[in-house]
Amino acid sequence: MLLRLQGISKRFGRDWVVRDLSFTLERGEVVALLGPNGSGKTTLLRLMAGLLKPTRGQVERAGRALFLPNPPAFHRHLTAREHLLYDLAFHHQGKEPEEALDRFGLPGDLPLYAFSSGMKKRLALARLTLLFPDIWLLDEPETALDKGGRELLLSTLAEARKKAGVVLATHDRTLAERVADRTLELGVA
Amino acid sequence: MLKVAQPDRPDALTWVFLGLGLLLLPVGLYLALSAPPDVNQGYLVRIMYLHVPGAWLGYLAFFVTFLYSLLYLFRQDPRYDRVASSSAEIGLVFMGLALVTGMLWARPTWGVYWTWEPRLTTTAILFAVYVGYFLLRGAIEDPELRRKAAAAVGILGFINVPISYMSVKWWRSLHQTQSIDLTTGKIHMDPAMLQALLFNLLVFTLLYLGFVRFRSLLAALEARKEEA
Amino acid sequence: MKLPVEGWPEAAGQGRVGVVRRVVLLALRDLRLEVRDRAGLLSILAFFAVMLFIMALALGPEEAPLRRAAPGVLWVALAFGSTLLSTRAFALEVEEGTLDDLLLAPGGKEWIYFGKLLFQMLLLLPLAVLALLMAAGLFYLPLERLFPLFLTLVLGVLGYASVATFYAGLLARLRGREVLLPLLLFSLVVPVVLASVRATTGLAEGLPVAEISDWWQLLLVFDMVYLTASALLFPVVMEG
Repeated sequence: MLLRLQGISKRFGRDWVVRDLSFTLERGEVVALLGPNGSGKTTLLRLMAGLLKPTRGQVERAGRALFLPNPPAFHRHLTAREHLLYDLAFHHQGKEPEEALDRFGLPGDLPLYAFSSGMKKRLALARLTLLFPDIWLLDEPETALDKGGRELLLSTLAEARKKAGVVLATHDRTLAERVADRTLELGVA
Repeated sequence: MLKVAQPDRPDALTWVFLGLGLLLLPVGLYLALSAPPDVNQGYLVRIMYLHVPGAWLGYLAFFVTFLYSLLYLFRQDPRYDRVASSSAEIGLVFMGLALVTGMLWARPTWGVYWTWEPRLTTTAILFAVYVGYFLLRGAIEDPELRRKAAAAVGILGFINVPISYMSVKWWRSLHQTQSIDLTTGKIHMDPAMLQALLFNLLVFTLLYLGFVRFRSLLAALEARKEEA
Repeated sequence: MKLPVEGWPEAAGQGRVGVVRRVVLLALRDLRLEVRDRAGLLSILAFFAVMLFIMALALGPEEAPLRRAAPGVLWVALAFGSTLLSTRAFALEVEEGTLDDLLLAPGGKEWIYFGKLLFQMLLLLPLAVLALLMAAGLFYLPLERLFPLFLTLVLGVLGYASVATFYAGLLARLRGREVLLPLLLFSLVVPVVLASVRATTGLAEGLPVAEISDWWQLLLVFDMVYLTASALLFPVVMEG
């Protein structure tokens, strides 16, 4: 067991966004989170990451979790290389970002305000492969990616599956069918 | 929620505190008005019977808020937060009373409504801290974050009391010497006046206990309604 | 869920060195961001200078009242400066949505507080020195005893920053934080204002250091108490 949610509910103000949901993620598993806008996919991912606390129920994590928001969040005045270096340092990891930058086709010295949304998405994936958490929580990772980017996403996911567990929220059913071992459908609460 | 079913109405103890407090309030007032006038201050001294209990309960109430804020952070049980915020609310009322009566007393005695005296200034600071406490509560929608943030303010605000007090004391000093010196246990006051003062302290404390229990219950009902 | 007393960063399997490194890196990174952004820092600087200038105009032009008001003006200006800077320390993270990344880093969350605090100090201290020079120029504050004055600045500014950083983090995600922050902050830092102003006045009037050290001790006590309390409470209010 890598991640377990037990009967969790989350309420914002008077509205329940997630209601009495239980879920378990194992190592080596990719789970796709499907559902229309407003069905609570992002909230659920943030609950899994521990960025939100459930109103009721329990979340257990047996490893480090990282959350990739959509759109990805970066400091616009840093270059891609600097950003990755800081992230690695904050996570106490002594790796070098060069290989990942090359692999994801990213210019290391360009400040992020000059990045397109697709390039930011690639950078977010590069960041995840470097930090390599045990639990990958991805919010619509396929958006803004071109064909090459999509290939990179698929190879990243294949790599993640070997050692970690992945939950990805998506509207792309082809992607879900292609990479996910199982799906979790959310309805509008 | 957890183990005890929450009551719908105040329990017996709450009624006892409130009932006794309200019953004894006129008695306390009578004692205060019939106590002998002070040698120096004359009839003006009667304001003390409101001022001292008000200030005492203000501090007691904020201390209770501090304790229950700590308890909340350690136990994460919303009940502690309800007591903390109820106590702060009632503390603000009592402390407001103490500040107003203090000013009314200061004007004829010292010739000014306000002076930068340590206890006065510390009290005003504490008052401002808890006004901030409630504004902060009002600004946060997420109930859990609201409770935690309020607890943090309740704790930081109260540990400031001794430091503020010392700083203002060194900065300047001028206050009526305390009637009951807590450090030496010396009391310089007519026995009849002392009786009246202690009686009023008791009455106010009973009222405070009743109010806090009552307010916490209201808060619990509000929370339950919000959850439904 | 408990107060993270036992969750001090070593628990993450990293030594004390790693923790210090992370704190320093965070502060330097924020500094770098501010320097590259420029607009934010420059507007704070301009606001600060104009404020001192206006106050000098309002209280002048005679030398005696200006000199008398100098310590008070200096510390009030710094109080405003610290609320502006501390808001910035978290505003960037919230605007860009990067606060989550910091919160998800392994180990306790105290390091974020200390990193942001160090960032504050790195900006606030030069600002304080600038304010001191402006107070000397516009308010005729004598600067002969530079070292004791600097010590007062460090202790006082640390007092402001320790509380301001905590509250700025607490309020970072809330609406109306610009008003709430000064309200919460100023009532808590009264001892810092009094002690710093008194120490500065004493130094300007040429009192012996022995008479001023009481104020330094009070500042030190305040700093220690609030640094400890804020570091313990910060992780609690940042989660969830």
